[in-house]
Amino acid sequence: VIRSAWRRIVRFLGSAGLATWLLAIVGAWSMVATIIPQGGASDPKIADWAATHPAIEPVVRAIGLHQAFTSLVFTACILALAVSTALCAWQRTKAALGKQRTLRRSERADVQSLGESHDLEITCDPALGESEVLSVASETLERLGIRTKRRGKTITAISPAWSVWGSPVFHWALLALIVTMLLGNLLRSEGLMGVAVGQTKTDAPGSYGVLHAGPLRDWSRVQRSIRVDAFDPDFRTGGIDRGPTPTLSLLDAAGEVVKTQLVYPNHTLKSGSLTIYPNNYGLSATLTLLNAAGVETGRQVQLVDFSEATTGGTVAADYVSVSDKVGKALLRVSVTVPLDRRGDVWVRGIPKNPTARLVVTSPDDKPVLDRVIRPGEELALPGGDTLRLDGIEYYARLSVVDDWTIPLLYVGLVAAMVGLTIAVVARQQIVLATVIEGPDGVKLAATVRLWRNASSSRSEIEGELAQALSEVEKGSTT
Amino acid sequence: VTAEIVLMWVALTFYAAATAMFAIGVTFSKDSLTARALFVSAFGLAFQTASLGIRWERLGHGPYLGFYEVANALVLCVAAFFVIVAWRNPRLNAAGIAVMPVAVLLLGGAMLASKSGVPITAKLASYWLFIHVAFANLAFGAFAVSFGCAIAYVLRERSRSGKWAKRLVRLPAQDVLDSLTARFVLVGFLFWGIMIATGAIWANEAWGRYWGWDPIETWSLIVWIIYAVYLHLRFALRWHGERLAWYAIIAMPVALFALIGIPLAFNAPHAGIGGYGKDL
Repeated sequence: VIRSAWRRIVRFLGSAGLATWLLAIVGAWSMVATIIPQGGASDPKIADWAATHPAIEPVVRAIGLHQAFTSLVFTACILALAVSTALCAWQRTKAALGKQRTLRRSERADVQSLGESHDLEITCDPALGESEVLSVASETLERLGIRTKRRGKTITAISPAWSVWGSPVFHWALLALIVTMLLGNLLRSEGLMGVAVGQTKTDAPGSYGVLHAGPLRDWSRVQRSIRVDAFDPDFRTGGIDRGPTPTLSLLDAAGEVVKTQLVYPNHTLKSGSLTIYPNNYGLSATLTLLNAAGVETGRQVQLVDFSEATTGGTVAADYVSVSDKVGKALLRVSVTVPLDRRGDVWVRGIPKNPTARLVVTSPDDKPVLDRVIRPGEELALPGGDTLRLDGIEYYARLSVVDDWTIPLLYVGLVAAMVGLTIAVVARQQIVLATVIEGPDGVKLAATVRLWRNASSSRSEIEGELAQALSEVEKGSTT
Repeated sequence: VTAEIVLMWVALTFYAAATAMFAIGVTFSKDSLTARALFVSAFGLAFQTASLGIRWERLGHGPYLGFYEVANALVLCVAAFFVIVAWRNPRLNAAGIAVMPVAVLLLGGAMLASKSGVPITAKLASYWLFIHVAFANLAFGAFAVSFGCAIAYVLRERSRSGKWAKRLVRLPAQDVLDSLTARFVLVGFLFWGIMIATGAIWANEAWGRYWGWDPIETWSLIVWIIYAVYLHLRFALRWHGERLAWYAIIAMPVALFALIGIPLAFNAPHAGIGGYGKDL
């Protein structure tokens, strides 16, 4: 009973009907997902949508349509589709093996075996010799798009063995793609890292501003750093403006340079499983903290983003914290860089005469100081410490993706397309014919198997052959 | 620029004339007229190719960017697919009554759009652009021919007797039309799959991610799924006949919407094939 039930379950999971329904559900779900805004519950556009669609919002939220492509429903459908694809691929593999055996058996067929076992017999004009019958049959088949080979007293049109593997390869490749993508989501990390010119950051979670890492991501194996050597806000090559372009160096655990290159769209830095792409850019201010005796006690690089909404055209990406000896925060310093203005817009670059506006607040956000200083100038802080602005530079916001499954995905995509091409283009057919002599005269004995992409149908082949051979008869008597 | 536009208007005129000739030829059982309509379509194709060639030479890039170029490239593929198929199988001439109006409407729409050239930007400067867009166009060409075959199938299925049965008698047998529809869906499915695969590889090069579920990516996958369902129905569940033909008829406008409707409907970072002057 258990075995029978198991077989029924396997048959159901591998059925074309289930696969079709799952595809339809995934398609319909994806359509709906493009209409409903995607994002987290705190996202303003989700809140707006919820306010304008109060009747359906609870349902949408409950089934996870606001995060449609990571929701339980979608993941379950994809997993079910993966199982269905695996079983379907297995069935197709078995069928392909069977067809391959038949193709090989047909290659070995001779006059005797064909005479003993064939699908159809066509009576020929008795006046025709063996060779003429085979020539007429060959020409007729050629006219129907079936190119034959003459092999002694037989004519053959047998597809190569690889022709039957298109569909299984495509389905296995699809399964491999689904599994690789799921695996990639568990193991990959993807994040944004801001690195100022001259700065080096280790590839570790703390260096990222935004980071999405899979639950199985192992950071202990990652021992490398990323350095921005230079930055060109208007890099041109090949007559095309490539946009803000940093020159990056990738360093290994020992600090040795592994790779250095300019990084711009379609020219990402790749090293093993790592891909670095320039996401955005901004400015950076390097600040040095000096104690009352003038001794340097710390240095920090403050990142500054461009913003059309603010008065100076920039906004601080973070703040510098000034602490006492035991680590208690005393002050917060946020830095912005007033930009030059061209007409009504801020010029997104280092100003001609760069300055930095330092806003110092207490830990509970009470204003303490607000000064604009130039590189090399200092700002005395309450308590005796001094902040010095060392310089203003660009920073590159880098999209750093570490995913070793991407090359595997490419292999899977290529395999899927090769399989699909074979399935679309390659004919799967066996046409064997020979001449047999019986009491009724000369006959053409043929075996016809047309599995896929045939240029003709079995009935058409039979009809055309019969007509061609009888037309010869008519022609000879006229 | 003038020569380029004049040639395109000439092409559109030829396509419109071919459409009218197909309609009259099929309606009044004038086989010679439908045969001439194919020649007229081929002339239109030649003028359109010449116009696009001049534009390519002038702008330094193929017809990939902006609605004018993209709609043009789609029409070129639709017309080329149809002319080649009907040339090889003259009995399919009558399918022009369904295929050529698609070409005329799309090219007419393109002629109303801005014809100024869209420059190649850093994100677009990749050989993947040509491969990705070329396969999208080829796929749509194949889907459009499958649409024409499916319409021919339905028309004849619904007029087994009477005047229309006589008018459509020159079409290939119903099982041949059914098979041709499936073959072109299969070819389109392959090309669309290559378009998605090359798009994913290019997205990884240009944006640092291979798939982002943006509306254009999602709709390209939806179209692939829609045709995957068709192929399962046809080859695994052995569906044949009118209901499957209707499926192919409904699926093609979805593909067209995914190509040129979605970039207009959604403000996605991925401008898609419709372009509308956006950077990628």
